[in-house]
Amino acid sequence: MASRAYYTLIASLPNLPPDFDVDRTPITRPRLKERLDMLHPHDARVVDQVASFLAWDRQPLDRTDEEVIERYDRLMAEISNPLVRELVETRMDTRTISSGLRRRRAGLPPPPGVGKWVNHIRRNYQHPEFNLQGRHSWIAPLDRMLQEGEAMKAQRLLFEVNYRLWSRMAERYTFSFEAVILYLARWEIIDRWTTRDAEKGRARFEQLITETLGDYADLF
Amino acid sequence: METFILTLGWIGIYAPTAIGAIGSIIGCARAGQAACGAMLDVESGYGRMVGVSALPSSQIIYGIVVMFTLNREVTEVNSPGLFGIGLLAGLALLFSAMYQGACCASAINASKNKPEIFGLSLAPAAIVEGFAVFAFIFALVVAGGIPGV
Repeated sequence: MASRAYYTLIASLPNLPPDFDVDRTPITRPRLKERLDMLHPHDARVVDQVASFLAWDRQPLDRTDEEVIERYDRLMAEISNPLVRELVETRMDTRTISSGLRRRRAGLPPPPGVGKWVNHIRRNYQHPEFNLQGRHSWIAPLDRMLQEGEAMKAQRLLFEVNYRLWSRMAERYTFSFEAVILYLARWEIIDRWTTRDAEKGRARFEQLITETLGDYADLF
Repeated sequence: METFILTLGWIGIYAPTAIGAIGSIIGCARAGQAACGAMLDVESGYGRMVGVSALPSSQIIYGIVVMFTLNREVTEVNSPGLFGIGLLAGLALLFSAMYQGACCASAINASKNKPEIFGLSLAPAAIVEGFAVFAFIFALVVAGGIPGV
Protein backbone atom coordinates (compact mmCIF):
# COMPACT_ATOMS: atom_id res chain seq x y z
CA MET A 1 0.00 0.00 0.00
CA ALA A 2 1.33 3.43 -0.93
CA SER A 3 2.12 5.57 2.07
CA ARG A 4 0.18 8.75 2.79
CA ALA A 5 1.57 12.08 1.62
CA TYR A 6 2.38 14.73 4.22
CA TYR A 7 2.98 17.95 2.31
CA THR A 8 2.01 20.28 5.15
CA LEU A 9 3.86 18.36 7.85
CA ILE A 10 7.14 17.95 5.97
CA ALA A 11 7.13 21.58 4.80
CA SER A 12 6.48 22.74 8.37
CA LEU A 13 9.63 21.02 9.65
CA PRO A 14 12.87 23.00 9.40
CA ASN A 15 15.50 21.45 7.14
CA LEU A 16 18.02 19.29 8.96
CA PRO A 17 21.69 20.21 8.65
CA PRO A 18 24.01 18.04 6.55
CA ASP A 19 26.05 17.30 9.70
CA PHE A 20 24.51 16.42 13.07
CA ASP A 21 27.24 18.26 15.02
CA VAL A 22 25.33 21.51 15.63
CA ASP A 23 24.66 23.64 18.71
CA ARG A 24 20.95 22.86 19.01
CA THR A 25 18.19 20.94 17.29
CA PRO A 26 16.49 22.83 14.43
CA ILE A 27 13.13 22.27 16.15
CA THR A 28 12.37 21.69 19.82
CA ARG A 29 10.86 18.44 21.04
CA PRO A 30 7.51 20.00 22.13
CA ARG A 31 7.16 21.82 18.81
CA LEU A 32 8.01 18.64 16.91
CA LYS A 33 5.40 16.68 18.87
CA GLU A 34 2.88 19.38 18.07
CA ARG A 35 3.61 19.10 14.34
CA LEU A 36 3.33 15.31 14.47
CA ASP A 37 -0.31 15.74 15.45
CA MET A 38 -0.91 16.12 11.71
CA LEU A 39 -0.19 12.42 11.21
CA HIS A 40 -2.93 9.92 10.42
CA PRO A 41 -3.72 7.83 13.54
CA HIS A 42 -2.22 4.68 12.00
CA ASP A 43 1.01 6.46 11.09
CA ALA A 44 1.05 8.12 14.52
CA ARG A 45 1.12 4.63 16.08
CA VAL A 46 4.12 3.69 13.93
CA VAL A 47 5.85 6.92 14.97
CA ASP A 48 5.15 6.03 18.60
CA GLN A 49 6.86 2.68 18.04
CA VAL A 50 9.91 4.41 16.55
CA ALA A 51 9.95 6.97 19.36
CA SER A 52 9.73 4.26 22.00
CA PHE A 53 12.56 2.31 20.35
CA LEU A 54 14.75 5.41 20.12
CA ALA A 55 13.96 6.34 23.73
CA TRP A 56 14.84 2.82 24.82
CA ASP A 57 18.00 2.92 22.73
CA ARG A 58 19.27 6.15 24.30
CA GLN A 59 18.87 5.12 27.92
CA PRO A 60 22.39 4.66 29.29
CA LEU A 61 21.39 1.66 31.40
CA ASP A 62 23.27 -1.61 31.30
CA ARG A 63 21.06 -4.35 29.97
CA THR A 64 21.59 -8.05 29.75
CA ASP A 65 21.80 -9.55 26.29
CA GLU A 66 18.59 -11.45 27.01
CA GLU A 67 16.77 -8.18 27.72
CA VAL A 68 18.00 -6.68 24.46
CA ILE A 69 16.98 -9.76 22.46
CA GLU A 70 13.58 -9.90 24.12
CA ARG A 71 12.93 -6.21 23.45
CA TYR A 72 14.10 -6.53 19.84
CA ASP A 73 11.89 -9.54 19.14
CA ARG A 74 8.87 -7.86 20.68
CA LEU A 75 9.48 -4.69 18.69
CA MET A 76 9.95 -6.49 15.37
CA ALA A 77 6.74 -8.46 15.95
CA GLU A 78 4.86 -5.17 16.35
CA ILE A 79 6.36 -3.29 13.39
CA SER A 80 5.14 -3.95 9.87
CA ASN A 81 6.44 -0.82 8.11
CA PRO A 82 9.49 -1.97 6.05
CA LEU A 83 11.40 1.29 6.50
CA VAL A 84 10.92 1.30 10.27
CA ARG A 85 12.10 -2.30 10.41
CA GLU A 86 15.15 -1.31 8.39
CA LEU A 87 15.88 1.59 10.76
CA VAL A 88 15.65 -0.64 13.82
CA GLU A 89 17.73 -3.37 12.18
CA THR A 90 20.42 -0.89 11.13
CA ARG A 91 20.62 0.52 14.64
CA MET A 92 20.74 -2.93 16.22
CA ASP A 93 23.40 -4.11 13.75
CA THR A 94 25.54 -1.15 14.80
CA ARG A 95 25.01 -2.10 18.44
CA THR A 96 25.85 -5.75 17.82
CA ILE A 97 29.06 -4.91 15.96
CA SER A 98 30.26 -2.39 18.57
CA SER A 99 29.31 -4.85 21.32
CA GLY A 100 31.38 -7.53 19.55
CA LEU A 101 34.41 -5.21 19.45
CA ARG A 102 34.07 -4.40 23.15
CA ARG A 103 33.60 -8.05 24.17
CA ARG A 104 36.55 -9.21 22.12
CA ARG A 105 38.71 -6.53 23.72
CA ALA A 106 37.57 -7.74 27.15
CA GLY A 107 38.40 -11.34 26.22
CA LEU A 108 34.75 -12.40 26.27
CA PRO A 109 33.00 -14.73 23.79
CA PRO A 110 30.98 -13.28 20.85
CA PRO A 111 27.80 -11.38 21.79
CA PRO A 112 24.50 -13.30 21.55
CA GLY A 113 23.06 -10.08 20.10
CA VAL A 114 20.43 -9.65 17.43
CA GLY A 115 20.29 -8.85 13.75
CA LYS A 116 21.68 -10.31 10.57
CA TRP A 117 25.37 -10.20 11.51
CA VAL A 118 25.25 -12.22 14.72
CA ASN A 119 26.22 -15.56 13.18
CA HIS A 120 28.67 -13.89 10.82
CA ILE A 121 30.43 -12.24 13.77
CA ARG A 122 30.60 -15.57 15.60
CA ARG A 123 32.23 -17.21 12.60
CA ASN A 124 34.68 -14.34 12.07
CA TYR A 125 35.22 -13.31 15.67
CA GLN A 126 39.00 -13.24 15.45
CA HIS A 127 39.09 -11.24 12.23
CA PRO A 128 39.96 -7.60 13.13
CA GLU A 129 36.83 -6.28 11.42
CA PHE A 130 34.73 -9.44 11.62
CA ASN A 131 35.24 -9.73 7.85
CA LEU A 132 32.70 -6.92 7.40
CA GLN A 133 35.11 -4.25 6.16
CA GLY A 134 33.48 -4.26 2.71
CA ARG A 135 30.09 -3.30 4.14
CA HIS A 136 31.08 -1.38 7.24
CA SER A 137 34.26 0.60 6.73
CA TRP A 138 33.79 2.26 10.12
CA ILE A 139 34.60 -0.88 12.14
CA ALA A 140 38.40 -0.40 12.04
CA PRO A 141 38.32 3.27 13.17
CA LEU A 142 35.75 2.38 15.85
CA ASP A 143 37.94 -0.44 17.13
CA ARG A 144 40.92 1.94 17.29
CA MET A 145 38.89 4.55 19.21
CA LEU A 146 37.67 1.94 21.70
CA GLN A 147 41.24 0.76 22.16
CA GLU A 148 42.37 4.32 22.88
CA GLY A 149 39.47 4.84 25.30
CA GLU A 150 38.02 7.63 23.12
CA ALA A 151 34.39 6.96 24.07
CA MET A 152 33.07 10.30 22.82
CA LYS A 153 34.83 9.96 19.47
CA ALA A 154 33.48 6.41 19.12
CA GLN A 155 29.95 7.67 19.87
CA ARG A 156 30.38 10.44 17.34
CA LEU A 157 31.50 7.97 14.69
CA LEU A 158 28.48 5.72 15.27
CA PHE A 159 26.12 8.70 15.08
CA GLU A 160 27.83 9.86 11.91
CA VAL A 161 27.45 6.44 10.28
CA ASN A 162 23.71 6.31 10.99
CA TYR A 163 23.11 9.99 10.22
CA ARG A 164 24.79 9.70 6.81
CA LEU A 165 22.98 6.48 5.98
CA TRP A 166 19.60 7.91 6.90
CA SER A 167 20.30 11.17 5.08
CA ARG A 168 21.08 9.17 1.95
CA MET A 169 17.88 7.17 2.39
CA ALA A 170 15.91 10.40 2.91
CA GLU A 171 16.89 11.55 -0.59
CA ARG A 172 14.58 8.84 -1.97
CA TYR A 173 11.52 10.28 -0.23
CA THR A 174 10.04 13.76 -0.40
CA PHE A 175 6.64 14.18 1.20
CA SER A 176 5.81 10.62 2.19
CA PHE A 177 5.46 9.02 5.60
CA GLU A 178 8.92 7.51 5.13
CA ALA A 179 10.33 11.05 4.91
CA VAL A 180 8.72 11.79 8.30
CA ILE A 181 10.26 8.65 9.85
CA LEU A 182 13.73 9.45 8.48
CA TYR A 183 13.40 13.04 9.70
CA LEU A 184 12.59 11.82 13.21
CA ALA A 185 15.46 9.33 13.22
CA ARG A 186 17.96 12.02 12.20
CA TRP A 187 16.45 14.59 14.57
CA GLU A 188 16.92 12.07 17.39
CA ILE A 189 20.65 11.82 16.60
CA ILE A 190 21.02 15.61 16.66
CA ASP A 191 19.10 15.74 19.93
CA ARG A 192 21.25 13.05 21.50
CA TRP A 193 24.42 14.78 20.38
CA THR A 194 23.38 18.26 21.47
CA THR A 195 22.20 17.04 24.89
CA ARG A 196 25.12 14.70 25.57
CA ASP A 197 26.59 16.94 28.28
CA ALA A 198 23.23 17.29 29.99
CA GLU A 199 22.75 13.51 29.93
CA LYS A 200 26.22 12.96 31.29
CA GLY A 201 25.52 15.45 34.07
CA ARG A 202 22.17 13.86 34.88
CA ALA A 203 23.70 10.36 34.99
CA ARG A 204 26.47 11.61 37.27
CA PHE A 205 23.91 13.34 39.50
CA GLU A 206 21.84 10.16 39.76
CA GLN A 207 24.97 8.16 40.55
CA LEU A 208 25.88 10.60 43.33
CA ILE A 209 22.36 10.42 44.75
CA THR A 210 22.49 6.62 44.75
CA GLU A 211 25.91 6.56 46.35
CA THR A 212 24.83 9.01 49.05
CA LEU A 213 21.36 7.71 49.83
CA GLY A 214 21.70 4.03 48.98
CA ASP A 215 18.31 2.29 48.93
CA TYR A 216 16.54 5.53 49.85
CA ALA A 217 17.52 6.99 46.47
CA ASP A 218 14.49 5.29 44.93
CA LEU A 219 12.29 7.61 46.94
CA PHE A 220 13.46 10.46 44.72
CA MET B 1 -23.37 1.71 -31.96
CA GLU B 2 -23.90 5.17 -33.39
CA THR B 3 -24.84 6.53 -29.96
CA PHE B 4 -21.72 5.02 -28.45
CA ILE B 5 -19.48 6.64 -31.05
CA LEU B 6 -21.18 10.00 -30.57
CA THR B 7 -20.73 9.64 -26.80
CA LEU B 8 -17.02 9.17 -27.33
CA GLY B 9 -17.00 12.38 -29.33
CA TRP B 10 -18.61 14.32 -26.49
CA ILE B 11 -16.23 12.78 -23.99
CA GLY B 12 -13.35 13.91 -26.18
CA ILE B 13 -14.63 17.48 -26.26
CA TYR B 14 -15.03 17.80 -22.51
CA ALA B 15 -12.07 15.61 -21.44
CA PRO B 16 -9.36 18.32 -21.61
CA THR B 17 -11.36 20.55 -19.25
CA ALA B 18 -12.47 17.82 -16.84
CA ILE B 19 -9.21 15.90 -16.67
CA GLY B 20 -7.14 19.10 -16.72
CA ALA B 21 -9.24 20.41 -13.82
CA ILE B 22 -8.57 17.23 -11.83
CA GLY B 23 -4.85 17.69 -12.44
CA SER B 24 -4.94 21.34 -11.39
CA ILE B 25 -6.92 20.45 -8.28
CA ILE B 26 -4.37 17.83 -7.22
CA GLY B 27 -1.34 19.94 -8.17
CA CYS B 28 -2.54 23.13 -6.46
CA ALA B 29 -3.61 21.15 -3.39
CA ARG B 30 -0.19 19.51 -3.03
CA ALA B 31 1.72 22.75 -3.47
CA GLY B 32 -0.79 24.65 -1.32
CA GLN B 33 -0.41 22.17 1.53
CA ALA B 34 3.35 22.57 1.37
CA ALA B 35 2.95 26.36 1.38
CA CYS B 36 0.77 26.16 4.49
CA GLY B 37 3.34 23.95 6.21
CA ALA B 38 6.21 26.25 5.28
CA MET B 39 4.31 29.22 6.71
CA LEU B 40 4.50 27.51 10.10
CA ASP B 41 8.26 27.35 9.86
CA VAL B 42 9.23 30.76 8.48
CA GLU B 43 8.35 34.33 9.36
CA SER B 44 8.20 35.88 5.89
CA GLY B 45 7.75 35.18 2.18
CA TYR B 46 4.18 33.91 2.57
CA GLY B 47 2.87 35.59 -0.57
CA ARG B 48 5.61 34.06 -2.67
CA MET B 49 4.76 30.59 -1.42
CA VAL B 50 1.06 30.95 -2.15
CA GLY B 51 1.94 32.32 -5.58
CA VAL B 52 4.05 29.26 -6.39
CA SER B 53 1.31 26.93 -5.20
CA ALA B 54 -1.02 28.35 -7.86
CA LEU B 55 1.28 27.40 -10.77
CA PRO B 56 -0.51 24.12 -11.60
CA SER B 57 -3.69 26.06 -12.35
CA SER B 58 -2.46 26.79 -15.90
CA GLN B 59 -3.39 23.26 -17.01
CA ILE B 60 -7.10 23.86 -16.57
CA ILE B 61 -6.77 26.99 -18.71
CA TYR B 62 -5.06 24.97 -21.47
CA GLY B 63 -7.81 22.37 -21.11
CA ILE B 64 -10.54 24.96 -21.59
CA VAL B 65 -8.84 26.34 -24.71
CA VAL B 66 -8.49 22.82 -26.19
CA MET B 67 -12.15 22.16 -25.37
CA PHE B 68 -13.25 25.28 -27.28
CA THR B 69 -11.06 24.25 -30.21
CA LEU B 70 -12.59 20.78 -30.32
CA ASN B 71 -16.13 22.00 -29.77
CA ARG B 72 -18.17 21.40 -32.93
CA GLU B 73 -21.10 19.38 -34.18
CA VAL B 74 -20.36 15.78 -33.15
CA THR B 75 -20.74 13.21 -35.94
CA GLU B 76 -19.75 9.58 -36.46
CA VAL B 77 -16.95 10.79 -38.69
CA ASN B 78 -15.27 13.19 -36.28
CA SER B 79 -16.01 11.44 -32.95
CA PRO B 80 -12.92 9.16 -32.96
CA GLY B 81 -10.68 12.16 -33.62
CA LEU B 82 -12.32 14.26 -30.92
CA PHE B 83 -12.07 11.40 -28.46
CA GLY B 84 -8.42 10.62 -29.19
CA ILE B 85 -7.16 14.19 -29.06
CA GLY B 86 -9.36 15.28 -26.17
CA LEU B 87 -8.60 12.31 -23.96
CA LEU B 88 -4.85 12.29 -24.58
CA ALA B 89 -4.54 16.06 -24.15
CA GLY B 90 -6.50 15.76 -20.91
CA LEU B 91 -4.24 13.00 -19.60
CA ALA B 92 -1.12 14.98 -20.47
CA LEU B 93 -2.53 17.98 -18.61
CA LEU B 94 -3.54 15.78 -15.67
CA PHE B 95 -0.09 14.32 -15.12
CA SER B 96 1.74 17.57 -15.80
CA ALA B 97 -0.40 19.38 -13.18
CA MET B 98 0.04 16.62 -10.60
CA TYR B 99 3.80 16.49 -10.97
CA GLN B 100 4.13 20.23 -11.29
CA GLY B 101 2.36 20.44 -7.93
CA ALA B 102 4.96 18.08 -6.47
CA CYS B 103 7.76 20.21 -8.00
CA CYS B 104 6.24 23.37 -6.52
CA ALA B 105 5.92 21.70 -3.11
CA SER B 106 9.59 20.73 -3.24
CA ALA B 107 10.55 24.25 -4.34
CA ILE B 108 8.64 25.74 -1.41
CA ASN B 109 10.22 23.27 1.01
CA ALA B 110 13.74 23.77 -0.33
CA SER B 111 13.64 27.56 -0.52
CA LYS B 112 11.85 28.33 2.76
CA ASN B 113 15.09 28.27 4.76
CA LYS B 114 17.25 29.29 1.80
CA PRO B 115 15.47 32.13 -0.05
CA GLU B 116 18.42 32.67 -2.40
CA ILE B 117 17.59 29.45 -4.28
CA PHE B 118 13.93 30.36 -4.75
CA GLY B 119 14.22 31.17 -8.48
CA LEU B 120 16.35 28.17 -9.32
CA SER B 121 14.18 25.81 -7.31
CA LEU B 122 11.30 26.65 -9.63
CA ALA B 123 13.18 25.37 -12.70
CA PRO B 124 11.76 21.80 -12.47
CA ALA B 125 8.21 23.19 -12.27
CA ALA B 126 8.92 25.39 -15.30
CA ILE B 127 10.24 22.43 -17.28
CA VAL B 128 7.12 20.40 -16.48
CA GLU B 129 5.04 23.39 -17.58
CA GLY B 130 6.93 23.31 -20.88
CA PHE B 131 5.75 19.77 -21.55
CA ALA B 132 2.17 20.76 -20.77
CA VAL B 133 2.51 23.59 -23.29
CA PHE B 134 3.74 21.10 -25.93
CA ALA B 135 0.69 18.89 -25.33
CA PHE B 136 -1.57 21.93 -25.47
CA ILE B 137 -0.14 23.50 -28.65
CA PHE B 138 -0.03 20.28 -30.61
CA ALA B 139 -3.57 19.38 -29.54
CA LEU B 140 -4.64 22.65 -31.17
CA VAL B 141 -2.59 21.91 -34.30
CA VAL B 142 -3.94 18.37 -34.70
CA ALA B 143 -7.49 19.47 -33.91
CA GLY B 144 -7.36 21.53 -37.11
CA GLY B 145 -7.39 18.27 -39.09
CA ILE B 146 -10.64 16.97 -37.60
CA PRO B 147 -13.57 17.38 -39.99
CA GLY B 148 -16.57 19.49 -39.09
CA VAL B 149 -15.06 22.81 -38.02
